[in-house]
Amino acid sequence: MVVVRELKRAFVCAGMVSLAVCATAQTPISKGERSGAPTSVLVVDSVAKLAAESDPLLVAMKDELVREQKLLVLPGMQRPYFMSYRLEDFQSYQAVANFGALTSESTSHQRVVRVEVKIGDYVTDSSSARGEGSLQLAPEDSDPAALKYALWTATDEAYKAALRAYSAKQATLKSFQSAPTANDFTPAKAVVKIEPLVVLALDKEDWKKRIVEASGLFSTAPEVKSFAQDVQFSSANVNAFALNRYTVDTDGTELRHGYSGYSDTIAVSGQADDGMQLSRNNGSSATTAAGLESATALHKRTIDDLKSLDELRHAPVVGAEDYHGPVLFYGDASADVINNLFVPNVEADRPDMGTTARTRGAYQSSLHTPVLPQFLTVVDDPTMKTFEGKDLMGSYGVDDEGVTVAPVTVVDHGKLLNFLIGREPVKDFPESNGHGRAAPGQAAHSKAGVIVVKSSQELTAVQMRAKLLALAKQQGRDVYEVETLGGELVPRLLYRVSPDGTRTLVRGAAFDELDQRSLRSGMLAAGGKDYVAQTISPVPETTIAPELLFADIAVKRATEQQDKLPYYAPPDNRQ
Amino acid sequence: MIRKPVVLTALLLGAGGFLLAETPGSGLPASALPVASDPVVMQAMSTELDRAMAQLGTPTTPAVESKSGAPLLKPYFLSYSVADAENVSISAQYGAIVSSNAGHSRTADVQVRLGSAALDNTHGDHRTSALTTMALPLGDDRDAIERTLWYATNRGYGKALDALEKVKTEQQVRAKEEDSSADFSTEAAQSEVLPSLPKLNVDKAAWEQRLREITAVFKVYPDIYYDTAVMQTSNETDYFVSSEGSHVATPNQVARLIVVARTRAADGMDLFRVETFEADKTGNLPAQSEVLAKTIALAKNLDDLRNAPITEPYNGPAILSGRAAAVFFHEVLGHRLEGQRQRGDEEGQTFTKLLNKPILPSFLSVADDPTLKDFDGHPLSGHYAFDDEGSPARKVDLVDKGVLKTFLMSREPIASVQQSNGHGRAETGKMPTGRQGNLIVTSTKTVSDAELREMLKAEAKKQGKAYGLYFEDISSGFAVTTRRSPQAFQVIPLVVYRVYVDGRPDELVRGVSIVGTPQAALMSILATNDHQDIFNGECGAESGTIPVSAVAPAMLVSAIETQKQAQGTARPPIVPAPPLGVASEKKGGE
Repeated sequence: MVVVRELKRAFVCAGMVSLAVCATAQTPISKGERSGAPTSVLVVDSVAKLAAESDPLLVAMKDELVREQKLLVLPGMQRPYFMSYRLEDFQSYQAVANFGALTSESTSHQRVVRVEVKIGDYVTDSSSARGEGSLQLAPEDSDPAALKYALWTATDEAYKAALRAYSAKQATLKSFQSAPTANDFTPAKAVVKIEPLVVLALDKEDWKKRIVEASGLFSTAPEVKSFAQDVQFSSANVNAFALNRYTVDTDGTELRHGYSGYSDTIAVSGQADDGMQLSRNNGSSATTAAGLESATALHKRTIDDLKSLDELRHAPVVGAEDYHGPVLFYGDASADVINNLFVPNVEADRPDMGTTARTRGAYQSSLHTPVLPQFLTVVDDPTMKTFEGKDLMGSYGVDDEGVTVAPVTVVDHGKLLNFLIGREPVKDFPESNGHGRAAPGQAAHSKAGVIVVKSSQELTAVQMRAKLLALAKQQGRDVYEVETLGGELVPRLLYRVSPDGTRTLVRGAAFDELDQRSLRSGMLAAGGKDYVAQTISPVPETTIAPELLFADIAVKRATEQQDKLPYYAPPDNRQ
Repeated sequence: MIRKPVVLTALLLGAGGFLLAETPGSGLPASALPVASDPVVMQAMSTELDRAMAQLGTPTTPAVESKSGAPLLKPYFLSYSVADAENVSISAQYGAIVSSNAGHSRTADVQVRLGSAALDNTHGDHRTSALTTMALPLGDDRDAIERTLWYATNRGYGKALDALEKVKTEQQVRAKEEDSSADFSTEAAQSEVLPSLPKLNVDKAAWEQRLREITAVFKVYPDIYYDTAVMQTSNETDYFVSSEGSHVATPNQVARLIVVARTRAADGMDLFRVETFEADKTGNLPAQSEVLAKTIALAKNLDDLRNAPITEPYNGPAILSGRAAAVFFHEVLGHRLEGQRQRGDEEGQTFTKLLNKPILPSFLSVADDPTLKDFDGHPLSGHYAFDDEGSPARKVDLVDKGVLKTFLMSREPIASVQQSNGHGRAETGKMPTGRQGNLIVTSTKTVSDAELREMLKAEAKKQGKAYGLYFEDISSGFAVTTRRSPQAFQVIPLVVYRVYVDGRPDELVRGVSIVGTPQAALMSILATNDHQDIFNGECGAESGTIPVSAVAPAMLVSAIETQKQAQGTARPPIVPAPPLGVASEKKGGE
């Protein structure tokens, strides 16, 4: 069943304050075509305008932008054709506990302005693939005069840099035979959308107690303290941040958008007797503190992690000879595969100058060709706010370039139909589809929001396992399943599955031949339990992926150096 | 909690005191052991250090051998140095607060030495192999502190083992070194627990208001396109325990207020001025009225500099104000007298062979004295009681009546000086090396300011120059002491005047930088004025950034060489600054 949100949702900036205004939606995106370029018409209702005018920071930013638009020109040089001002108010809190005691606690509040100035025109301008912006610290106080001063300094820098960049780029372009495959920038309609400010809200005292207790469980909890001397490091932390972003640009767009992220993590590590480094670290993350796991859940997770670490320490090393065969990915492992191998390649990036490439990445010339099995469809739908009761971090209504987002069918029954794109067009994609998203202090780049991978031939979890087992029996050998990865596609909890159904945890393995080809033609089935992978950084993003069964992946012994065991035992202070 | 009997012995012996009596279990001097009256963190340090020394290098864990197959080594030295610091830092720009933070951190520097004092893992390029740095729990959880120290010590031991192998191999392969001194000196252990500082108590709101007011001064100077005012203060206690039996706790506190402003001349030259105020705590920083007056003077001066003519390259006589002379001596002399720079293949060793020879005119003497808390009623930033190797601070007479007598020593010996003189200093996370503290320059050939000026004009006339130069304010530059670069130094003059021989008024000029070679510059000092000025600041070098001061009288030099400052090519801001007057009234939250 294909999950494509109905078009009318594109009009609804649901959940935002009613002051929001949405730009006109574009024609159905699944056709890969777009309506004509929208002109820069300001579509604002009076309520939204009022909200914008009641925020002194936005007013100050607009005042300065208008003043600069009038005055900013070096005699004999071009004026900017586009400018944008962004103010980011960043609040964060972090506390870390090691070995059962608080080790650090820090709070920070910072404001930074980022100014972007473009010289030239929409076809060719001063921008580069990396993106340009001039940054300045801005006042924490809501002092409009000081804010304008910071903007003025950054604007001056940005303009001069843009002039230099433009002439350098013009010279470089002359050295190539073919013209660039796309324009440098897309016009966009003005959008005014003022959302409520987000505030960092966390019960710090309560959370400090939790992480202190969790980081000390290795030596206090009866279930695990028998092997406390083998736990070399035990640390728990809680992180919280709230970012409020104010944007005004010469299109007439005015935005105020806030998002926050909270996470808690437990990390325990040690070594097996042969020196192999082993660790478990995981936690929970949410858009509100209330969404984090409960104290009981953190306690249980920590005990489970410690037991798992001990199990890993005693687990056999994976076989010395290579395995090539079926591997079932479930838990966060399947989402990691999608995030590593698929998502970056569907985010459109400006190609190198002088080439005829469409974009960067593995799918740059795969438009309308199969990139996934025929039974998979992938939609990016940032308008989706929750899934199975979880708030989705990657959810948003208007991107950071002022473009309203609607669901995008990226892959339909295996065929690549769309790239995710912002206002930097690429060949065949002359307009933004609302995916121009900026990490704090950075330029906007094409970034996914909420990636949903769905199978049209969905198997249940039981069926997925049955299929794996059937392959083991059929092939007359052990096969593998992996529950979680550590690092870049490296298995952390890998199980050998025998034809009789026994599962054995093994350690010290690495994958090979887990690549775009396996994704495209090596997948046998998808289904089971969906995993919701949420990341906060660099931009908040969610990937929802089912379990994936591959026919032929290589499992090898990793050739990591085996570090020395400790030269002396840790202090034994258990009660 | 079951603890080994050695602790009871320490309790009976009492706090402090220096004892060499051995106790069973560790072979360590008693004062290395935990003392019940010590802060908990110090007790934990002592306990774990004792345990580490007892167990490291013995087969207590599954047998593992070093790469060469040789049996494991016991460290011949182990120390824990913990900096427990509270700090506050507030900064403002253009009349508004940009950041306001407070924090508490506790960091351990674990130093492991393997081999022997004659040759250990720190030899040559491997000095940093001895050091492992790690954050310690903030409270009084002994178990957690000890566990963390174990983790860091274990890491450190591995690094030291690895480095020692390399050192031994390199020694076999290379040519004989110029200086074959030991890697570590022999010193007496110290035991002193100085009273700790009170908790840092800063009225943040009041300081935020002060900084807003200070930076608001610049609002009426539209050509000063950048300004900032920063107040930083910290209260720190440094704990030091070593396997030699050292047992020291010493407080360190500092408060500093810095004002920086920048402008750009029409031809693109960047100009800046800095005012710094330092004290031991915020309460002893100057009153707001004094700071505002100095800030206004700084702003006016920057404006004058914008419009001042550029100077030509020059080689002739000059007066350095007391502050300028202090910075000059810090850079030109102070850094070159750091002990470790007299040894090592990469160092230029300007003064190494000049021991007991004149390096300054005979009316000048230079001492470095960290035991001085203040000078002439003003606090000195380079004051400390114990250095970062646990050695007691002491006054060192570096240059006596122009003759070089000794160097600034850490525990790294050099051919001519085998002992530390309490100048082994480092920023947390770095290995200590010989550094300055309070550099004091004294003169016996003093004249009044007016007379010094006349002497300048006379010297200029004698050399056939139309003017002499007066360096009123300089910013510290950098000292290049390595062998591969020319032995040059650069300090950045900020306020320079031409003093005309024909009596016309002094003329402010811009674009000057002082260059030259150290020995020539020092030997050309002709006379000084009759009062010393103080420069408090932070000094950065290989062992990190540390607080220092330099004290010197104004000086007349017969030959100073200047070149034109490297000039920025950026234009001044294109659009006039946004109007700050009216809008600045609108303060307050969203």
